[in-house]
Amino acid sequence: MGSFKDTLKESLRQLAFRTSIDSLKKKGVQQVNVLGLDRISSLIEAAVHRSLKSKLVGGEREAVADATKAEFLRLLRTNEDLQREKSEVEQQRERAEDEVDTLRRELAQQQQALQLQLQQDGLTLAARYDGENTAIARKVTEVVQSLVQSGQLTTSALEQRLMELVMDVVSGERQSAETARRALHDREVDNLQRRIKKLNENLAVTEQRLQHVAAQKSVDGGISSVYREVQGLAGGEAHVEKKKELMAEIFKANLQLQKKLGKA
Amino acid sequence: MSDTKQTGDGQKKDHGVLYIGMDLGTSRTSVSASNGVRETVYSVVGYPKDVVSHKLLKKDVLFGKEALEKRLSLKMYKPLEKGVLKYTGDAKMDAEAKLNLKAAQDLIGEAIRLAKPRKDELVYCVIGAPAEASVKNREAIIEAARAHVDSVMLCSEPFSVAYGLDWLEDVLVIDIGAGTTDLCRMHGTMPEEADQVMYDIAGDAVDAELARRIEQTCPGAQFTMQMVKDIKERYGFVGEASERCLVDLPVDGKPTSFDLTDSIKAACSILIDPICKGIHKLVASFDPEFQTRLKNRVLLAGGGSMVKGLDSAVEKAMKERLGGGKVIRIEEPIYGGANGALKIAHDMPADFWEQLR
Repeated sequence: MGSFKDTLKESLRQLAFRTSIDSLKKKGVQQVNVLGLDRISSLIEAAVHRSLKSKLVGGEREAVADATKAEFLRLLRTNEDLQREKSEVEQQRERAEDEVDTLRRELAQQQQALQLQLQQDGLTLAARYDGENTAIARKVTEVVQSLVQSGQLTTSALEQRLMELVMDVVSGERQSAETARRALHDREVDNLQRRIKKLNENLAVTEQRLQHVAAQKSVDGGISSVYREVQGLAGGEAHVEKKKELMAEIFKANLQLQKKLGKA
Repeated sequence: MSDTKQTGDGQKKDHGVLYIGMDLGTSRTSVSASNGVRETVYSVVGYPKDVVSHKLLKKDVLFGKEALEKRLSLKMYKPLEKGVLKYTGDAKMDAEAKLNLKAAQDLIGEAIRLAKPRKDELVYCVIGAPAEASVKNREAIIEAARAHVDSVMLCSEPFSVAYGLDWLEDVLVIDIGAGTTDLCRMHGTMPEEADQVMYDIAGDAVDAELARRIEQTCPGAQFTMQMVKDIKERYGFVGEASERCLVDLPVDGKPTSFDLTDSIKAACSILIDPICKGIHKLVASFDPEFQTRLKNRVLLAGGGSMVKGLDSAVEKAMKERLGGGKVIRIEEPIYGGANGALKIAHDMPADFWEQLR
């Protein structure tokens, strides 16, 4: 019984709303009459008892009072269950939304990193080309100067030295091209691409889950029956004996039918 | 206080008992439940025609009004015909018959879902089946319902109507459905074959007759059977017309007003003759001492009983053929059968339900 009173008090507490003394003063309230939760719950209980007392006798009254309390507690539990289910679905939705946000952020970061990496590669390549151009120009100058200084500046000698120079540069370029081709398959780039692919897949799955949760607009737990236990015919009903016979006949016909179904 | 049970699927059910009464009809399926829910759904089932329509509709199966509205994207089934499942129980039944059976099973499942049962409650259901349903038909209904409830029973549809109103003795129930008109004589025991008469002139026959008359009298009018059904449900009457039935029907794409008063009256009047024949047959073969009492306790039920003036028209015809009689239209024609089935479910003793689980 104690737990019933506690539950009633808790319910009253939940149903009450808070307000400040200042806001009451603003509304012109100077004095308030205070009624404690214990007193309110006692009044409710007394009112229920008085009402039952005027309509029912002894044991019947107690039974109805107990049944009413049990029903009250059951309804509270049902409400709590529904609230819990609702909050679980909401939490699930929030988690899914957070996950989608995180994945989106991560995807953006990875794409930015890839972009940066590609830009840096471009800069390195440009710097390398500049250096190579300077080196080629320097080598040509050196060849021409050495031929002039040695007094052997003939067409054939110049052609031969330049050919050597060009072949040297070309073989160097061939090597560089090979390195560049390998760079395209750089492990880091591959990894980044794989991760992006995976993130995209995760994002698609999570978005699908989010859509599914969003589609479950609300949790429908069904509506409770008014009966807590199997009923049957009440003794005081009209034609009770005849009805009992009819129920037995309906049952027999169904039993026969369902036995047949069981065998099949 | 509470009744704790363990179901076959291992779920604990300890929060009470939900009784469901169901009227499985050719046109509509209605449910009444002990949680106060009362719902009705057109007995039509639609499955998406292809992947595109499935993606568009986002559902595997649609029922009732929703299915009718989306019928262009659906393969439609009307699993009941003349009051019974389109299912013969023949082992060699063709693919179409199998699909009709599946549609019937899905429809029963939907009707039970409409009753909003809680997962933690025992669900006991009584289904009002047509008196003429075959054993195979009854087995199919039981099998379909078993998947959704803890225990299920069938009972004769006219019997459930009378039981729901507590009229158990010397009463004649006329249940006008879409497929059949069933007449059943109650005399305090379960009705036997001799107590029942069935005619296939019912709601669908009225629709067909009205469609034929519209074709004859409204040149160029375009309509579907669903439109004809809607017109009948809106204006259906016999006897004196209280208002002219002016209906807009498209002619070559343009809505055109037609006066269908005479056509509607004539189409609805086809119900009167078989009803009177049936009453005559059941009264004449009843104990002579109780014939007058039986004539004065005729109950009109089912969707077809909503035709205005039908009770007076039947009374008038009874006066001519049987020297008089009193016809009472039940208050809720759509839910009469389901309410009666719910009452039977409630009154059924606990051990009977247990034995059928």
